[in-house]
Amino acid sequence: MAENSIVLGMADLMVIRAPARLITLGLGSCIGLVVYDTAAKVAGMAHIMLPNSRGLMGSEKVGKFADTAVPRIIDDMLRLGAVKNRIRAKIAGGAQMFSLPGMSADFLTVGAKNVSETMLRLRSMGIALAAADTGGNKGRTIEFSTSSWMLKVKTLGKGVKEI
Amino acid sequence: MSDMESFNSLQLDTIREVGNIGTGNAATALSGLLSRKIQMTVPKTELVSIYDLGEHYGNPMQIVGAVFVRSLGGFQCSLIFIQNEEDARLMVELLLKQQFGTFIPVGEIPQEMTDSALSEAGNIVLSSFLNAINMLLGTQHQISVPGVAHDMLSSILDVVASIYGQMGETALLVNTELSVEGLEEGRKISGHIILIPDPDALELLLRKLKVM
Repeated sequence: MAENSIVLGMADLMVIRAPARLITLGLGSCIGLVVYDTAAKVAGMAHIMLPNSRGLMGSEKVGKFADTAVPRIIDDMLRLGAVKNRIRAKIAGGAQMFSLPGMSADFLTVGAKNVSETMLRLRSMGIALAAADTGGNKGRTIEFSTSSWMLKVKTLGKGVKEI
Repeated sequence: MSDMESFNSLQLDTIREVGNIGTGNAATALSGLLSRKIQMTVPKTELVSIYDLGEHYGNPMQIVGAVFVRSLGGFQCSLIFIQNEEDARLMVELLLKQQFGTFIPVGEIPQEMTDSALSEAGNIVLSSFLNAINMLLGTQHQISVPGVAHDMLSSILDVVASIYGQMGETALLVNTELSVEGLEEGRKISGHIILIPDPDALELLLRKLKVM
């Protein structure tokens, strides 16, 4: 069966039934989170921008923050028939695009905080992390296929890898 | 003030005019550096949804060269000078030709050196832009060391999205374009200056200029 390609934008969050291809373009400090259950044949992706909503969530997209995106994507997975202890996660992104010598600023290291917060939330929900390609100083484009359950990560100047 | 959508049109015009003054100074500095005439567009003050930033400046997947600095003085902000990778390459070649008197293709020089030329040019543009604003406001001028990156436009703009994303869903940006004139047929060098003011800095600016 042909796979529909779905491109997720900033702060988008989506759970689908196989077959499909979930894509996010040009992740910098943002995180691409993928969750899947190969037996139930459902998968989800979220494009997370920031680690923590600090309880300040207003009308904002639920995929924007790691602490709101992770519980929601797992809920949506369960609703489509996934079983919690079968769900696996993969993450990519969380780069630091600029470093200014001699200067540390919160917004420059937000990528690393996105990674640690996303991992923490997954762990606290009991979701196993199957693979990760995070950090560094380069942007990433990611593509998850439900035919292979692999996450293709393209990095400028470093080619493509599958995790 | 953290609600970016609450500015009135007089305030937005004032912010744009401040951008205009900065751009004029940046154009003069770049012109001196490259010994070429520089054309500038009238700056725009833009309220952009943080979710649309990636598309706002063109194809989100296009490869760009970007120089980033932080203003640490009285008027706190972040500034980015952003160019198509090809434009950045031509600018570096022009700059090196000015310095050494002969043309050296960028491919023949270590990237460390071309990046250092790019970050220096970006630093001069951004520092001149900021200096004009500090002069106008009477605030102290202090600027970080520049950081340079080559990557997808949307990855670069994550920096802007994460700064504004902490406060809401709208980014207030001052956007202007500089173009180098008098180049060989078929060549062009242009770059965007994006000013990302801290919310407190906007309030300071509007108070000092008596529109708040």
